[in-house]
Amino acid sequence: MESLVREEIAQAKADFVEVRWDELAWSKVAFQRDQLMALEESKEVGGIVRAMVGGAWGVALLTDPAELPTQVEEATRLARMASRHVQEPTGLADVPVEEKRHVAELQEDFRSVPLSRKRTQAEEYNKLILDFSPEIVSTSVRYTDTYRKNLYANSEGTFIYQEIPDVTLLLAAVARRNGDIQQAFETIGEAAGYELVQGQEKKAEAAAKRAVDLLSAEPVTGGTYTVILDQQLAGVFIHEAFGHICEADFLFRNPHMRQVMKLGRQFGAPMLNVVDDGFIPGARGNTLFDDEGVRRQKVYLIKDGVLSGLMHSRATAHKMGMEPTGNARSISWEHEPIVRMRNTYIEPGEATFDEMIKDINHGIYAKAAFGGQTMFEQFTFSAAYAHEIKGGEVGPMVRDVVLTGNVFHILQNIDMVGQDFQLIGGSGGCGKGGQMPLPVTDGAPHVRVNEVTVGGR
Amino acid sequence: MELLQQAARRAEAAELYVARRQGTTAVFDAGDLETVKSESVVGQALRLIADGKMGFAATTGTKAEGLVEAALVSAQHGDPALFGFHAGGDEPAVGVYDKETAGIPDDQLLSWGTQAVKAIHAEFPDVQVNVQLARGTVEVTLGNTASPPRTEERTYLAMEVEVEWVRENDIYSVGSSQAVRTVAQFDHQAVVADILRQLAWGKEIAPTPTGKQPVLFLPQATLVIYLPLLVGFSGMSVVLGTSPLKGKLGEQLFDPRFSLLDDGRLELGPRSASFDDEGIPTTRLSLVESGVVKGFFYDLRAAALAEAKPTGNGFKGGLLGGDFRTPPSPSPRHLIVGPGQGSLNEMIKEMGDGLIAQNVMGLGQGNIASGAFSNNVIGYAVRDGNVVGRVKNTMISGNTYELLRDGLRALGGEPEWIHGAVHTPPVLLDGVNVVTR
Repeated sequence: MESLVREEIAQAKADFVEVRWDELAWSKVAFQRDQLMALEESKEVGGIVRAMVGGAWGVALLTDPAELPTQVEEATRLARMASRHVQEPTGLADVPVEEKRHVAELQEDFRSVPLSRKRTQAEEYNKLILDFSPEIVSTSVRYTDTYRKNLYANSEGTFIYQEIPDVTLLLAAVARRNGDIQQAFETIGEAAGYELVQGQEKKAEAAAKRAVDLLSAEPVTGGTYTVILDQQLAGVFIHEAFGHICEADFLFRNPHMRQVMKLGRQFGAPMLNVVDDGFIPGARGNTLFDDEGVRRQKVYLIKDGVLSGLMHSRATAHKMGMEPTGNARSISWEHEPIVRMRNTYIEPGEATFDEMIKDINHGIYAKAAFGGQTMFEQFTFSAAYAHEIKGGEVGPMVRDVVLTGNVFHILQNIDMVGQDFQLIGGSGGCGKGGQMPLPVTDGAPHVRVNEVTVGGR
Repeated sequence: MELLQQAARRAEAAELYVARRQGTTAVFDAGDLETVKSESVVGQALRLIADGKMGFAATTGTKAEGLVEAALVSAQHGDPALFGFHAGGDEPAVGVYDKETAGIPDDQLLSWGTQAVKAIHAEFPDVQVNVQLARGTVEVTLGNTASPPRTEERTYLAMEVEVEWVRENDIYSVGSSQAVRTVAQFDHQAVVADILRQLAWGKEIAPTPTGKQPVLFLPQATLVIYLPLLVGFSGMSVVLGTSPLKGKLGEQLFDPRFSLLDDGRLELGPRSASFDDEGIPTTRLSLVESGVVKGFFYDLRAAALAEAKPTGNGFKGGLLGGDFRTPPSPSPRHLIVGPGQGSLNEMIKEMGDGLIAQNVMGLGQGNIASGAFSNNVIGYAVRDGNVVGRVKNTMISGNTYELLRDGLRALGGEPEWIHGAVHTPPVLLDGVNVVTR
């Protein structure tokens, strides 16, 4: 494939052309209750050609290597057609030409672990959860691994081959008492080998116990509270509520938003530091070279409380006069790269958990996340479970905790950042522009926020 | 179907699914054409039964090398097959193809996109308009060792418009979309009109009415109410015991005015198909009639476990469908909510004071199975029967099952399609909890 790609790029009649070719091998084991829902090891290949003519993009997908020449022509034709309608041509920021091969090294390569062993492992976790209590009525245990061999080449001479491993485990329990149904889960995900998913019995039990405990929890009373977010939820918060609005494709064509997201603006207290980094050993979001062949940068989004960087593709960097940061990512060969996060986290601060909680008279300790969504300043995200805080102490468990608000207010209202930093890969991923799930990592220590709106009954 | 024969030689039974996608998508970003994309993609999935056990594997490309071996490995370690492949093939066809739609020129997509941008900018020059238009075909060939292969080519045409309106300390996002099978059904001006209505209603900011409020869910926002039902009426959830509707067949669980139908055989329906991804003829399936639970939707596996009849709802890719990589699972086609009476304006007058939910954020978060929802809402305050402006920082919460039983004040008389998947009138519910900061 390498020589075919080089040859077709050399012959393309566009201003710029790039070809990405993915070879994916994955396996999946999934149980729900006593049902084996998935057991497979599959492989696929696919490619995407992007051509630029007169500042407009043409894109063509293919699954058969023999179609590469016609799809390079097709992308060029579409770009030419589009160029006649474009008012403001897209430009690409200059980047160094790269020639690089990166082969992943895994402690225990999951590709050589037999499917039967993966099944047995998942089945054991499934049984642990099912046997935990008669109130556990169902489960969702899912193991996945993916090995992506990714080839990228463009007409500027960049040629990159990289291997990207990803392994995840979801351990979820569903408990039922009369008509009430509650669920709880634990997840792990890393750019790692099979060793990651072994010895996770404690997590399986934790999920089962929590699902049962939630049956006795009261729904939270809606209102405005001081909230302590645990590491996982704080990580989701910084990703969802703040990270997404630092993706330059979101604002680069909008003068108003560029004004709001102006570098140098004070966004929070001086102890607040937020980073998006393309490489942390073992992290799911690792992107040595992004899907435009750009080498990774570590970006400080907030440094000492001040907005100090955005995440860019080549097009957004060109438009805004900035440097590309290596954030142009796609979930697979089926999609063009868009500006995405990688490993995004709040750096640890100095507070201890005791210092955070001791003067909260009535608050919420919100833990783990079901998910989140943002609409620029407005965000909403749900805690998987929570506890009331009463008189400076962790009180009874509450459920259905959904947090919402304005990200700018919330960042200003973070008054304590903990020491106990954790990076969490999870088993899901990030969704944007119809591309879901993209492996990412979120991280944070415990964080305390004042005046958070909590939806409830 | 050469692969199917290869599989048949090494297994007791086999089923091959081949999807061939061809189409074009045009993307306008901030009012300007950004990308035109075309695809020529083949995906294949093989299920087989070897030594009585079920195996599955998927891949891309026409050659699909290694697919049979991969499915055999899966079967070797798999569980006993609960069902055999369907020996059908003579079901009546449903209209799913339109030649004119398959041949819409790329230029036509660009022209519709440009028109939409212009029409919105004519009334709201300062907003950022993103438009996506897509047309194409998906050809599905399904063959198994029990019956001859069948092929169905299906057309699609879809438009999605998103508008961001940024003013000092305020950002307002609205969206509207349409998904149809044929160009004759396509009404791009309706999408634009819907966007313009949302912008006009949201121009002013109004205080949120809080506490237990009547909330008028416009069709787009009704998804927050119906999402738990997608889980609840799935035959697999019933089998697994994660559906609150388990064991409730024949019981009156909803307001007598509420009815729900899954119609897989709607002529030229955006998600219609003559047969599902397991070869079972699609059906018209009543889920709720006059508030009484009437049925659940099944694929082959859930039907086998529940000892029920498959309903032709075994589709790949879960609720949204369309992905060759996953085995089929129970998925509704067109959820049709029976209408009531009255125009939207009459419903607003009838409500008097309350909240209109245009859309919600965070759809699907939370404990969906139980029926609970709690979402940030994009909506408008209503006072004395008039829309007075848009609310901010507002959350609505409640429980679908409770609200559709005790809180249904009115169903509107003018149903609309949402994402080509749900056909529903606006729904006015009493006693929805509304909080604001």
